[in-house]
Amino acid sequence: MSEIKLLFAGPMGAGKTTAIRAISEIEPISTEVANTDLIESNKAETTVAMDYGELTLDTGDKLRLYGSPGQKRFEFMWPLLAEGALGVVVLLDNSRTDPLADLHDFLAAFDTQIGAGRVVIAVGRLDSHPHPSLDDYVAAVSRRGQFLPVVDADVRQRDDVIGVLEVLFEQLNALDLGDSPGANEGDEWMRFVDQARVQ
Amino acid sequence: MTQISRNLPLALKGAIDAAVRDLHQRVPAAIGCVIATVDGRLVSHVVDNEADPQRIAAMIGSMVALGETIGREVRIDRSQYVVVNALNGTLLTQRVPSRKELFVVSTLARPTTNLGMLLHETRSTADVIARAVDDWLDQHQARSAEAASA
Repeated sequence: MSEIKLLFAGPMGAGKTTAIRAISEIEPISTEVANTDLIESNKAETTVAMDYGELTLDTGDKLRLYGSPGQKRFEFMWPLLAEGALGVVVLLDNSRTDPLADLHDFLAAFDTQIGAGRVVIAVGRLDSHPHPSLDDYVAAVSRRGQFLPVVDADVRQRDDVIGVLEVLFEQLNALDLGDSPGANEGDEWMRFVDQARVQ
Repeated sequence: MTQISRNLPLALKGAIDAAVRDLHQRVPAAIGCVIATVDGRLVSHVVDNEADPQRIAAMIGSMVALGETIGREVRIDRSQYVVVNALNGTLLTQRVPSRKELFVVSTLARPTTNLGMLLHETRSTADVIARAVDDWLDQHQARSAEAASA
């Protein structure tokens, strides 16, 4: 059994807090405050630091689920929250003005994780806003020279969020994760020590 | 017990647990002491109230990182500690100053506790844990070098 950190990222209103709330087995930690940026979104509240939830898998492994704030002004939080994350779910909202621009912004922000193949893209509100299509997203990712899974998801539905995580884990399993130092392979503590920053 | 604490070398885990218990006893009106990894994973704790140590660990990791980011951003250099001064208590959190950035330490106390005392005792414990971590790293590197030359 181990603990696995995952990050939900994406623009404001894409459903990061909702997704974590949908699957967390604990009452999630939330840093929502009143939203004063009604041009960006008409949501009443918005996350300003992080969300946190937990989910134990049938295998006994525990997922630690972090959610990032979505607004660009909070981008300093993104690498902090991504540190140590095994994978990233980028949630996109097809009802926003330019969701493909959102896609490019977040792919750029999580370039390190994408380079390691640890990202899945989940698109919401496709029913009410069918354009761009999933194919358009795949093409946009492909034009960046990347290959990432792109799925449709209603993050209010627990099964949909679990489905997104299953895609992410399939993606992770497909990777060659044998790039840890050989002597420390399988020892989570030593991997942590190896990767830690020096004061 | 979390996976990270299961994997911690026993000697180091023992030193951290002892430091946490000692801190909890030294601070007047202490409610709790928590050690977490820098990315928010619980390592050791003594918490007297109903607060969940796992959740505290996640948040103090973010707090310290956020404090350091803000310190850099506003050009006041590296954050030394972060304080939450609430109506019914104080939470003080700082990084453990070992050579490698591995842990944060946090102390939670009732409002009757003096902030200076809280800061002094938490910093002393962080230094104790830092020495334990550095000693362990030295020993580990010496063993690795010895094994490599054999």
